Amino acid sequence: MTTMDSPAPVIRRPQQLAPGTVAVVVRLGLIACIAVLLSSLSPTFATTDNLLNILRQASLLFLVASGLTLVIIAGGLDLSIGANLTLCACLSAAAIKATSQPTAGIAVALGCGVLVGLTNGVLINRVKIPPFLATFGMLWVAQGIAYWFMAGQVVYGFSPAFRFFGSGFWLGVPVPIWVMLVTGACGVIFLSRTTIGREVYLMGANEAAAVLSGIPVARRRTLLYMVSGLMAGLAALIYVARLNAAEPGIGEPLLLPAIAAVLVGGTSLFGGSGGLFRTLLGATILTLIVNALNLLNVSATWHPFVTGAIVVLAVLADAAVNRGARR
Amino acid sequence: MTDQIVHAALTAPAAALLRRIPGVTFILVGMIVVFAIGNPRFLSAVNFTNIGLQSSLLLMLALPMTLIILTAGLDLSVGALLGLCGVVIAELLVAGWGLPASVAAAMLVGLVAGAVNGVLVGYLGLPAFVVTLGTMGLCEGLSLVITNGDPIGGFTPALENFYRSTVFAVPTPVLVAALVYGLLSLLLYRTRFGNYVFAIGGNKDALHLAGINANLVHTGVYLLCSLTVALSALLLLGRTNSAHPSVAVGMEFEAIAAVVLGGTSFEKGQGWLFGTVLGVLAISVLRNGLNVLSVEPSLQVVCVGLLLITALLIDRNRKQASQNGA
Amino acid sequence: MLANRESPDGGPETMAVRPGRDQGTAEPLLRLIDISKSFPGVHALRGVSLEIHAGEVHVILGQNGAGKSSLIKVLCGAYLADDGVIEHKGRRIAIQGPADANGIGVGVIFQEFSLAPYLDIAQNIFLGRERAFAKAGIIDKAAMHAAARDVLAQLGLNYDTWTFAADLGVAQQQMVEIAKALSQNSSILVMDEPTAAISERESERLFEVIARLKQRGVAIVYISHRMREVVALGDRITVMRDGAVVASYRRDEVSPDEMVGAMIGRSLAGLKRREALAAGAPVLTVTNLQTAKLTDISLEIRAGEVVGLAGLVGSGRTEVVRAIFGADPLRTGVIRLDGADFAQRPDRSTRAGLALLPEDRKREGLALPLAVGENATAAALWRLFRRGWFAPSVAEKVCRNLITRLNIATPGPAQFVRNLSGGNQQKVVLGKWLAAGSRLFMLDEPTRGVDIGAKTEIYRLIDDLAKDGAAVLVISSELPELIHLCDRAYVMRDYRIVGHLGRNELSEKAILDLAVHQ
Repeated sequence: MTTMDSPAPVIRRPQQLAPGTVAVVVRLGLIACIAVLLSSLSPTFATTDNLLNILRQASLLFLVASGLTLVIIAGGLDLSIGANLTLCACLSAAAIKATSQPTAGIAVALGCGVLVGLTNGVLINRVKIPPFLATFGMLWVAQGIAYWFMAGQVVYGFSPAFRFFGSGFWLGVPVPIWVMLVTGACGVIFLSRTTIGREVYLMGANEAAAVLSGIPVARRRTLLYMVSGLMAGLAALIYVARLNAAEPGIGEPLLLPAIAAVLVGGTSLFGGSGGLFRTLLGATILTLIVNALNLLNVSATWHPFVTGAIVVLAVLADAAVNRGARR
Repeated sequence: MTDQIVHAALTAPAAALLRRIPGVTFILVGMIVVFAIGNPRFLSAVNFTNIGLQSSLLLMLALPMTLIILTAGLDLSVGALLGLCGVVIAELLVAGWGLPASVAAAMLVGLVAGAVNGVLVGYLGLPAFVVTLGTMGLCEGLSLVITNGDPIGGFTPALENFYRSTVFAVPTPVLVAALVYGLLSLLLYRTRFGNYVFAIGGNKDALHLAGINANLVHTGVYLLCSLTVALSALLLLGRTNSAHPSVAVGMEFEAIAAVVLGGTSFEKGQGWLFGTVLGVLAISVLRNGLNVLSVEPSLQVVCVGLLLITALLIDRNRKQASQNGA
Repeated sequence: MLANRESPDGGPETMAVRPGRDQGTAEPLLRLIDISKSFPGVHALRGVSLEIHAGEVHVILGQNGAGKSSLIKVLCGAYLADDGVIEHKGRRIAIQGPADANGIGVGVIFQEFSLAPYLDIAQNIFLGRERAFAKAGIIDKAAMHAAARDVLAQLGLNYDTWTFAADLGVAQQQMVEIAKALSQNSSILVMDEPTAAISERESERLFEVIARLKQRGVAIVYISHRMREVVALGDRITVMRDGAVVASYRRDEVSPDEMVGAMIGRSLAGLKRREALAAGAPVLTVTNLQTAKLTDISLEIRAGEVVGLAGLVGSGRTEVVRAIFGADPLRTGVIRLDGADFAQRPDRSTRAGLALLPEDRKREGLALPLAVGENATAAALWRLFRRGWFAPSVAEKVCRNLITRLNIATPGPAQFVRNLSGGNQQKVVLGKWLAAGSRLFMLDEPTRGVDIGAKTEIYRLIDDLAKDGAAVLVISSELPELIHLCDRAYVMRDYRIVGHLGRNELSEKAILDLAVHQ
C-alpha cells in the first residue's frame, strides 16, 4: 500500500481550536460582559462577599446539572433530578433527625439518589420506556413519595457539623464551592481521561454505531443515570445543610434552571458533545442573570418565566449551532 | 385503528381482534371487578358521576396529547398552560370582562403557546420534550407573575353551575369531553389532517414527497392541542371555583400516562384514540378506588406510575408472545 | 404548483397531464441537460444528460454509487440540482420540490419505502391526494377503499386494503408502492430497482403492467442492474458510472456484454480474481441458528477464507451477521468461535474478535458528529486501554497508523468524519476493526456508496486480511464483486440459506438461480 508518497495531505492542524474552545471562550466573554454591566449597576457587586455568594449559588446549580450533563452528552435526558433531590433531602433530613448522625443522612441521601437513578436505568433498558418518559414519570413518583413521607411537615434545625457542608468556609471559600471544584475536576477527568468517558460521547453521537462497536451501551446508560442520581443526592445534602431545613418543595424548581445551565453552557441536546466545564460556565451565567434581575429590582416571581425563556432560546441556539453538524 | 378493529371483528378470528386491544383494558376490567367486590358503593350512580367528572378534564388533555404522541412528539406544557389559561380567564372575569371575551383571551394564550411549540418542533425539528419543557416554564412563570402566587376566586358562579349541571342525569362535563372525543375522532380518522398525523409519526419524509406541507400539519397538531387545553380551563375553573397557578401542574403527566396506557406508542405513528379513553378511565377508576381506601393524593401519583409500568410490561410481553407465535 | 422562474417567457403555466400521442420519437417528454449535484466530498452527479420519451422504457444502468439514486431524487424534487437545465415538452422548468415534480406528472417508486406504517393500504396509496374522496372535508372511506382495490386489481393483486402497511411483508410493501405510483396516473413513472425484493411471479406481473403503461403513453424510467430485465424491458438504455453518463444506447444497438463493460468500467473489469489460499482451521461455525426471522442457518468460515453471503435485498443476509454479532437475539442455535462458545452480545463479540461493518455506514457505522480519531478507536478502547484510563496520545498514534495503512484522505485524526468522502468514511469503519484486532470480519455491503478508487483499495485490504489469516464474510448485492472477492459463497432466500457454491461453481447465473424463487 502506498504510504509516504500518498497525495493525502497529512497536515498537523492546531489540535484543539475546535468548536469546543470557541464555545468556552464565547461564554467566558459573556460572563465578563455581565460582570462589567453589573459592577457598573451596583457598587456592591464587585465585592468579594458578593462574588463568593454568586459562586456558591452557582455551585449548587452546578451540582444538580453535572449529572444531567453526562446523561445529555450520552444522548439521554434526566427529568427526575429535581424530584430526586427533594426525595433525598427529605429522607436524609429525617435520617439525621432520627439518628442524630450526619453520616446516616449522607448515606441515605447518596443511596436514595443512586437507587432512583438505577430505577431510571432499568425502566429505560428493560421496560424500554423512552428516557424522557421514564424520568418524567420518576419525577412525579419521587415527588409523590416525598410529599407523602413528609406529610406536610418541615424538618429543620441541624447540628453545626452538618451545616458546615452548606454554609461553612474552608480557606475563606465556601464549602459548596470546594465541592463544586472537586466534583467538577473528577467529572472532567472522567469524561476526557477514561475509556468510559470516551464511550459516553460515542453513545451520544450515534447510539446504534456505539452498540455495533461493542460498547455496552445499556450498562453505561444505567451507570450514567446512577451518577446523575448520586449528584442529586450530593446536591440534596448541601441544600439541606445550607437551608438548615428540608421540605418537599425544594427540588422541583431546580429542574428547569439545571437544564438551562447545561444548554447555556453549550452541551448539545442532540448528544455527543459538551462537557462539565461548560456546564460550570452555564451555571455561573444563569446565576449572574438572576443576580442582575435582583439588582434591577425585578420581582422574584419573574424568575421561572425568565428561566423558561432562557431554555427556549438556548434550544434554538443549540439547533442553530449543532444541526449543521448532524447531516 | 377503530376501523381496523371493526374490520377485524367482521373478518378476522377473535384472536386477531384480541391482539389489537391494549393491555390496559384488562387492568381496567380487573380493577372494576375488585373495587366492586371490595366496596358495594363503587357501582352506585353517584360514584359513576364522580368517575365521569374526574375523567372529563383529563380526557380533554389526553385526547389532543394522543395526536401529538402519534407524531412522535410530546407536550409537557399542557398542565402549566391549563393553569395559565385558568388564571387568565379568572383574572379577566374578576376585572369585569365578559365570559366570551375572557375565554377568547385564553384561546389567544393557547394559540401563542401552541405556535411556539409547533414552529420549534414542526419546522425546526427540535426535540419536543425540551421545547415544551421550556414553554412549560414560560407558562408557569407567567401564571406566577400574573397572580403573584395567590389564588383568584370570587368570579362568576356560572362556571361552577355549568360544571355541576347534568343533562338526562349525565354530567355536562362528561358530555363536553364526549363531544371533544367525537370531533377529534372524526378529525383523526376521517379527514386528510388525520391521515397526515399518522404519516408524520410514521414517515414524515413520505408526506413531504407526497407534496404535502408536512411541517405545517405538524405545527397544526400542537396548535390544536394548546387550543383544546385553553378551552379545558373552563372545566378546571368550574371544578375548583378558583384559579391558582400551580393547580394543574402535573396533569400533563397523567395525560401522557393515559395516552401511553391506551397503547399509543412514541414510534411509527402507532396508536388508537379510543385507547386513550380507556387509559383515562383506568387512571380515574384507580384514583377513585384509592380515594375510597383513603390513600393520600401524593401516593396516588405513585400508583399511577406503577399502573403505567404494569401496562407497558403487559403490552411488551403480549407483543413478544405474538411475535414468537407467528 | 410549478415553479417556472427560469422559463424564458415568464408566466406560470398549468400542466395538464395528457397521455403522449407522439410515440417516442421527435420531442422528448422530459429532457435533462448537464445536471450536476454535489455534496461535501462527493460529486453525486456530473453533467448528466438524459432524454425521456413518452411510451418508452428508459433503463438506467449502473452499480451502487453510480449516481442513479441521486438522479431520481433530482427528478422527484427531493434534491435541488446545483447546475443544469430541465425541459418538459420543450419548455424550460425548475423542479424545486416534490410539488413541482408532481405538477409535471413525475411519480416515483422508491427503493426505500415511502409508506406510513400505521396507515392502511388505501390511505397509503392515496396519501396526499385524499381530496378526491372528500366531501366537505370528510373522506369517503368506502370510495377510497374501492379505488384502492381497483388499482391493486390492475396489478392482479387482491390485498385487504384495511391492512396497515406495518403488517405487510417487504414484497407486499413493494407492490403497494407500485400501486401508489400507478394510481397517480403519472406521465413519467420512475422505478428504482422495483424487483429487488419481490418474487419472480410478482416481477412478471409488474412487467405486464409496464407494457400496459407503455401503451398508454407513460414514460418509464427504470433503474436496475439486472441484465435480464434490462434486455427484456429497455427501449433506451443509459449507463452511469461515478455520477456521470458513460454510454447511451437504443435497445437494438447493444449487446449485454457491451453494457456490462460500460457499467463496470476498466477498473474493476481489469482486476483479476483473487487467488485461492489454503484455508486454515474453522474460525466461525454456526449451527442451526434461529431468530425471530431467520430459520435454520448453518455455516462455517475458516481462517484465510473470504466467504460470500449472497441473496436479494431482504433475503436475510444482514440479519445473519447481526445475529452472529449478537445485535439481534437468538432463539436457538449454536455459534462457536475457534470451537468455543461465546456470549452473543455486541460487547462480548467485539472482545472475542468479531467485527461487523454495517450496511448503513452513516446510521450504524460512524458517529458523524465526532472526529476521525474518535471513530477509529471506538471499537478498540477496551484493548488499547486495559485499565480504563484513556491516553489521547496513544489513541492519536493508533489513528495515524490507520490513516497511513488504509490511505485515508484526511488532514488528521482531529478532522470530523462527516467531512470525509464515502470511501474514506468506509475506510474509517474498517480501521475501527483493525484497531480492535478482530479476526473475523463480517462486511455488509463494504463498497456501497464508495468511489471506484476506494473500492479497489477495500478489495485489496480484504485480500490482505485473508492472507494474514483472518476470516472474512462478505455480503454484497453486486454479484461481480462477490465473485471477484470470494472463495465460496452461501446463497440466501426467504431468511434461509438455500445453497452453497464452491469456488468453481461461483457465477452470476448460479447465484441468481438460487437467490430468486423460480
